[in-house]
Amino acid sequence: MELLGIMLAILGAAMAAGWAGAGSAIGVGIAGESGAGVMTEDPGKFGLVLLLQALPGTQGIYGLLIAFFAILKVGLLGGGGEISVSVWQGLGIFFACLPIAIGGYFSAIAQGKTSAACIQMIAKRPEETGKAVILPAMVETYAVLSLLMSIILLNGIKL
Amino acid sequence: MPPAEQYGYAVARLRAMSVNLVEDSVLQRILESEDLEGALKVLGETVYSAWLVDLKGSGDFDRVIEAELVSVYDEVQRFVPDVRLVQLFRLPYDFHNVKVLLKSLVLLREGGERRFDLLTPLGNIPSDDLIMAMESEDFRLLPFGLHTLVPAALTLWEQTRDILEVEKILDTGLFAAMKKLAVESGIGGALAWVRGKIDGENIRNLLRIKRMDMDVSAAAGFLHEGGFLSKERLLSLLSEPVESWPRAIAFADVGRAFSDVQDVTDLNSLLVEMEKIIDDYVASILEKAKYNAFAPENILAFLWKKELEAKNIRIALVSVGNNTDRTLAKGLFRHAG
Repeated sequence: MELLGIMLAILGAAMAAGWAGAGSAIGVGIAGESGAGVMTEDPGKFGLVLLLQALPGTQGIYGLLIAFFAILKVGLLGGGGEISVSVWQGLGIFFACLPIAIGGYFSAIAQGKTSAACIQMIAKRPEETGKAVILPAMVETYAVLSLLMSIILLNGIKL
Repeated sequence: MPPAEQYGYAVARLRAMSVNLVEDSVLQRILESEDLEGALKVLGETVYSAWLVDLKGSGDFDRVIEAELVSVYDEVQRFVPDVRLVQLFRLPYDFHNVKVLLKSLVLLREGGERRFDLLTPLGNIPSDDLIMAMESEDFRLLPFGLHTLVPAALTLWEQTRDILEVEKILDTGLFAAMKKLAVESGIGGALAWVRGKIDGENIRNLLRIKRMDMDVSAAAGFLHEGGFLSKERLLSLLSEPVESWPRAIAFADVGRAFSDVQDVTDLNSLLVEMEKIIDDYVASILEKAKYNAFAPENILAFLWKKELEAKNIRIALVSVGNNTDRTLAKGLFRHAG
């Protein structure tokens, strides 16, 4: 039964890294398509396009961070001694990973679309770059909230 | 239909390309030029400069406008996910070429000369292929329904010797082909755009019919099916004075466009004014798409703006070349920005 607890924690970590990473990949891809379109006509906008394209990538990093926290908690990393994890504790870690897995996945796609639209905006109005960065950053708020909730929940589980 | 996100690249690229659209201030400077040479010098500061080097004489500016349009259509056709969106715009030029070749064929039979100089490279079908098909009278491989339409038009000519009848059947075929392409694309905005264009053409024809005082039965053949307004509704307008038309079709979007008309008493000036109003109305159908970064309608909106830009430049250059009233020309500029 102890093994099942660890397995549930690993599943949570895998979901946090996998889903948030997948969302980021889709989001960065969507923004990248728009970026390529703009740069075909105006290669000078590379810097701005890169900044906007990178924004949806943060969810993948958040997911990875939570995955590390989760596997550190059950002692799979860090070289410490073996930690006993009950099924309920494992389930707790699994649920703690869900906010960033789900929130990260959907917010990254939404942010990718917003970034793509903003890349189109700077193609026509380069003077509005500041506003173009703020709009996708608004979506980031909800990824950060998901990350915070995952961290709080993970810290709340006592092993 | 490809997934909406596939238009991300195309729309972004067109947004970047739209920066190069000729601005109102440049058009104003063209209009303010003393002569055609001066106007072409101003045009040389825009994307049209690439084609000005090939200009044979200042009166040949139509070739410059045509070359820029061909270049844009070819370029957009290369990266747009659904080529039907570009084909929609090139289709009227195919039908124009068919009309030119049909008239050439008729002229040739009557001892005249071919007029290949009137052909445009803007169509979907290469001019050489079209000439080959017409000369050999082998229409089997012609697309967009032309394989049946051209022989039908030729037969009609043999029977009636009336070029207007031939034009009517070809125009009907054009709008049917445009509607078919729009339906096949599965893009709602494309279909709405085609329907709006049909309405515009019908209103334009209706005004011409009213000016000619033609009777209703004869007028029906000049109207096309497939618009937002039915043929019956449009024909019923003929019995009413033009002043009451805006009220009679106020329920339709094209009717609301009528509200921009200043004076309906002079049919000749109304016809000229309506050309502009209808073009702006057709542009307004696609206006909402600009708020959606992935909408395929943005492709249509850009191409239509490019068409309007070409019209504006033509109006400005003709006005300067003929030294006509510049205020009148300015009033005819379409909203392409």
